[in-house]
Amino acid sequence: MSGHAYPRRKDPKKLIAAVAVIVVIVIATYGIVTWKQPTFTVYTYDSFMLWGNDPDNIDNTVFGAFEDQYGVEVRIERLITDANGIISRLVAESENPVADVVIGIDNILILQTLAKSVLEQYTPSNIDLIDDSIVSALDSDHYVSPFDFGLITVIYKLAEINVTSHPQLENLTLPNLADLSSYLVTENPHFSSPGLSFLLSQIAVYEKLMEEDWTQWWSDVKGIIDVQEGWTEAWTKWDSDPTRHLLVSYGTDPAYGASFSGGVPDTAIAPIHYDGVDYAWMQVEGIGLVKNGPNPTLARAFIDYCLTSAVQSHIALNQWMFPANSDVEFDPVFQYALHPDDVSLLNALLSSTEIATNLETWLDEYDAIMTG
Amino acid sequence: MNRNRLVEYAILSIPFVLLFVFLVLPVASVLFQGLVYGPGSTFFEVLDSVVTQRVVSFTFIQAIMSTILALLLGLPGAILFAKLRFKGKRYIRALLIVPFVLPPIVVVVGFLQMFGSGGIIDSLLMLIMGSQHSIIDFASGYVGIILAHAFYNIPLFLLIVSSALERLNPEIEEVAEILGATALQRFRRIILPHIRSAILAASILTFLFCFMSFPIVLALGEGSYMTIEVQIWNAFRFFDYGEASSLALIQILITLVLAYTYMKLGKDDKGASGPTAYSKTFPLSSLDASMKILAGVYLLLILLLSIGPMISIVRAAVWDPKTSLFSLEGFANLGDPTLGGGFVPLVNSLFYGSLATLFSLILGTIFAYTQRSRIRGLPSLTSMMVLLPLGVSAITLAYGLMITIAVPLGLSSNPWPLIVIAQTLIGVPFSARAIEIAMSKVDPALIEQADSLGASTLQRLFFVELPLIAPGLLVGAVFSFAMAIGEMSATIFLATPENFTLAITIYRDLAVRKFIEAGAASLLLVAICIIAFIVIEKFSENGYGGTL
Repeated sequence: MSGHAYPRRKDPKKLIAAVAVIVVIVIATYGIVTWKQPTFTVYTYDSFMLWGNDPDNIDNTVFGAFEDQYGVEVRIERLITDANGIISRLVAESENPVADVVIGIDNILILQTLAKSVLEQYTPSNIDLIDDSIVSALDSDHYVSPFDFGLITVIYKLAEINVTSHPQLENLTLPNLADLSSYLVTENPHFSSPGLSFLLSQIAVYEKLMEEDWTQWWSDVKGIIDVQEGWTEAWTKWDSDPTRHLLVSYGTDPAYGASFSGGVPDTAIAPIHYDGVDYAWMQVEGIGLVKNGPNPTLARAFIDYCLTSAVQSHIALNQWMFPANSDVEFDPVFQYALHPDDVSLLNALLSSTEIATNLETWLDEYDAIMTG
Repeated sequence: MNRNRLVEYAILSIPFVLLFVFLVLPVASVLFQGLVYGPGSTFFEVLDSVVTQRVVSFTFIQAIMSTILALLLGLPGAILFAKLRFKGKRYIRALLIVPFVLPPIVVVVGFLQMFGSGGIIDSLLMLIMGSQHSIIDFASGYVGIILAHAFYNIPLFLLIVSSALERLNPEIEEVAEILGATALQRFRRIILPHIRSAILAASILTFLFCFMSFPIVLALGEGSYMTIEVQIWNAFRFFDYGEASSLALIQILITLVLAYTYMKLGKDDKGASGPTAYSKTFPLSSLDASMKILAGVYLLLILLLSIGPMISIVRAAVWDPKTSLFSLEGFANLGDPTLGGGFVPLVNSLFYGSLATLFSLILGTIFAYTQRSRIRGLPSLTSMMVLLPLGVSAITLAYGLMITIAVPLGLSSNPWPLIVIAQTLIGVPFSARAIEIAMSKVDPALIEQADSLGASTLQRLFFVELPLIAPGLLVGAVFSFAMAIGEMSATIFLATPENFTLAITIYRDLAVRKFIEAGAASLLLVAICIIAFIVIEKFSENGYGGTL
């Protein structure tokens, strides 16, 4: 700046006004562009139906027919959380609900009083498409109806270990698994449904079959076992760490592996074994009607639609779970999956009342061991 | 009281009102409901639980250890950067500061791939030793948590302490030298007392960050190590709102004590370090051989710790582990405008981040005024309020914003304004501090001259004060922006798919094994941060350390 000619200063008020106007215009434009028309909204978890060949168009493929039939846009809102997080959101929104339907609430979560408080009981008109055993494994009170189900089990990488190198994998008991816990990756039961299912499996086997104190197992493996936050973190750790061969995961993993590696699975299953019998925990994921949601009639029709083969036939290859509708045929690749008929279900050993009463105590005891 | 006075008070009260409405009120209502109506445990049950006691003590111990480690690793760097001249210093410093603003998920992934078992270092060691088994694992458990926290917070020491050093008048040291003081004596008697309060300030901020740590502990803690914040999340997910609120209350009480200490230290600092006309630096060649080697080893070590995880991010952005091939698909995804693609999140990140930056600068500027105000109690209140956003449980805040603002206003289906607010709040501590320090360097005579020449308040503000504090505004802006685009905890709870930011899509993509897309998004975030820091390095000749 030269010492002589001072630049003419603009009036600061004009400057402020100009900036304010621009900011308001930008905000308003963004607001209008992203303005959401009220639509039919389904809340679900982050990875819902995204495991197939064409995840970008899956919503249209699966729910397009419903949209055409009812002339409505279905918005599948995948929140970056799991079903517990969705319930928290529904609780927060309960004064003024946005969602009509929620998918993903499983047979453990539905035992929570607060979960029931944001749902409205509804028995789909076509509930007979689903086996009674699956319906009652999830919720006999019909706050939620089965959407899909899967088995939680231990899997291992065939490239690293097998039944020759480690014969105990053939009939893997929980004490065997404790010995192998330096190989094992599992999920935190607080943050992950497979992790919680595994904890309940372990409790069921110890308390009901072996009649021993379940906490001993965790005291033995504490500091050796690798507990990751959620399934994705656990899978990533298991996949990338050459020293961790075993993972608590879904019994359909070998089928998924086979499907994407072209025919032969690279992983194998080791169900929990006790006294000549293989066991696994069954997770049933449900679909439910949000209490006081904006479109209750449409929501009921949508739940019915989700039980038909129009939706159910897409579950196996996009969700890698078993469809709740028992009429749906599986892809041949499912021969590599662990089927419910292959095992005895651990769910039978723990009644829902028992889980509902004790879950908090069990988790507290688990914390007391693991943080000790 | 005249009209101007009223307007002034009204303007000064804006940030307090906003912080009250968008921070204090939501959090207080969550705490009140949780503590009074539950459902879940009572406050005394929570206090009595052995797990709570362990969690609280672990939270303290890890925060103390992380702070000590960050101090030990950061202090030499702060002195080095303040006192030495060498080639590429500007870029090395920009790189070293980036970790502070990285989203935690990026740090976790980078950390695992660099320092974890089966990671880059471990693989190298296994190759060298010819071992089949993992040799080191610095990315899990206690060690992992503390290393990751040090990684995050070393930049705070680099910035704050080297800024204090730059404000030390070199004449004092020269006089000491002439009078025959040895280097060690000069360090103990002159440098150390001078930077003591800067070290304490950096330590308290670091402690606070580690104390509130959530995603790092969740990811690396193996389920055995939990901070209070992790335990809050834990309780919240199983609908024990009583426990969540009790823990959040404990956390806030501790934070307030820390904030109070921080404020007291800030007061002691006043006047101890005025603006200096110049700061003295030495060329690298002036050091003797052993010092050179020491400095070199230190730089190498700290670069490995700070930049190592970033290198693995570069790899993750172009190498697809699913196909074991190099690919640019991740970057292509950033241009994909569909809801599953990366373009909308990129626009959202930039838009929310820019708005949050603007707001946090406005709030920060007003706070800087109230911090220097002569009204009794106002500066202390300001210091407490400014630190509050860092010390309040992000989950509690997000839930509070949801129930007190989003749901009653019908915003919860598209809550982007709340995301901007949450991102603004976490930027305020940085913008307020940067601007306040810049203001303290302004010669009061200039302001008085403007007044006596008849400038209106606005004219004085725009043509005298703001240009003088421009470096502070710039630093505040960059930090606010970086904090905003890296914000996770509140955004992840509030956002619906239309509102996802880049940081959130990293989670989304990792959840469905879209590794390369997540890698590319992470790399873009890192790149944005590096560019931002290089920009401030260019703008502030003597290093921006002086303004944080």
